[in-house]
Amino acid sequence: MTGKTIVITSGKGGVGKTTATANIGAALAMRGRRVVAIDTDIGLRNLDVVMGLENRIVYDVVNIIEGKCRVRQAMIKDKQGLELYLIPAAQTRDKDSIEPSQLRELCAGLEQEYDYILMDCPAGIEQGFRNATTAAREAIVVTTPEVAAIRDADRIIGLLEASGLHHPRLIINRIAADLVRRGDMMGREDVESLLAIELIGLVPADERTVSAANRGVPVVHDGRSPAGAAFLRIAARIDGEEVPLNEPSHRPGMFHKLRDMVGMKGRAYSHA
Amino acid sequence: MRELLRWLLGLSDKNRKTSSEIARQRLRLVLIQDRIELAPDKMEQMKQEILEVVSRYMVVEEEFIEFEVRRLDELIMLVSNIEVKDVGGLMAAPAR
Repeated sequence: MTGKTIVITSGKGGVGKTTATANIGAALAMRGRRVVAIDTDIGLRNLDVVMGLENRIVYDVVNIIEGKCRVRQAMIKDKQGLELYLIPAAQTRDKDSIEPSQLRELCAGLEQEYDYILMDCPAGIEQGFRNATTAAREAIVVTTPEVAAIRDADRIIGLLEASGLHHPRLIINRIAADLVRRGDMMGREDVESLLAIELIGLVPADERTVSAANRGVPVVHDGRSPAGAAFLRIAARIDGEEVPLNEPSHRPGMFHKLRDMVGMKGRAYSHA
Repeated sequence: MRELLRWLLGLSDKNRKTSSEIARQRLRLVLIQDRIELAPDKMEQMKQEILEVVSRYMVVEEEFIEFEVRRLDELIMLVSNIEVKDVGGLMAAPAR
């Protein structure tokens, strides 16, 4: 088996890289894939809390690289019982404690056994970024429809291309359809034409993402979340399935409204 | 009076750019500048090639008097000035 190592990056912090990593990882695992998510933000660990696994950490990625434990010992299995594993970042070290070649070697080993290795890349363009991008075979750039985030994404795209990671794909996160409609937020076309790379997903701004993060359960497990549905679609696309890219919309139809009132559970996939 | 004022405001609102249009315009210019600044070797290469092409038709000073990307409000311009010393190549051109 030869898996794919994908880095999830953004340049600017706070645009949703970690949330994207956790959700894409869970969504791929829900499709029956075997997935490892690695937190490469050494010193600022947070993928563990987003996945709700912070209480189970014994070893971390630096321990693996320094030979203090076996790879398997540092891998924490997902709470929902999926074939999804987290390798947490070291909290008490800094980004220079890993060399790009060491991380590549770790990923190469994991590629033998797993379908997808996702790396949550730290913000910025320093050592941590180089570590993660050198180890990856593919890249996904996350941005939000804001001037600063898009500017940094453009810079990151240039750096990825320069380091040999061609054709990075784009996720536009936290699109508020009502703001786009009234002209107070850049929409899909704006961002796409500015950055000019392939779009792999549009994730609507969704309050359910916040409550899911509070609980430490990726929002893809929430069947009524539009953002969760968008991440399921992104995972399908990564996995090679052709799924249409629908614009996020917050105008639920009459049926959905009724269903929500009655409290029926259902899939909210029609939104994204 | 109030209605009239509102109507007038409503009308001028339509002519005013939305904040997303402003964001897009600002970004477009910022990205052009960033991309140019981040590719100094490509810019240097272009400079040399421009000099080479011009030298085929004119005798010019080997160094540009001016070569830079400048922003003028909503325009980004490549401004370059070369000192012309002679027009030898131009006169010798066969097609006339």
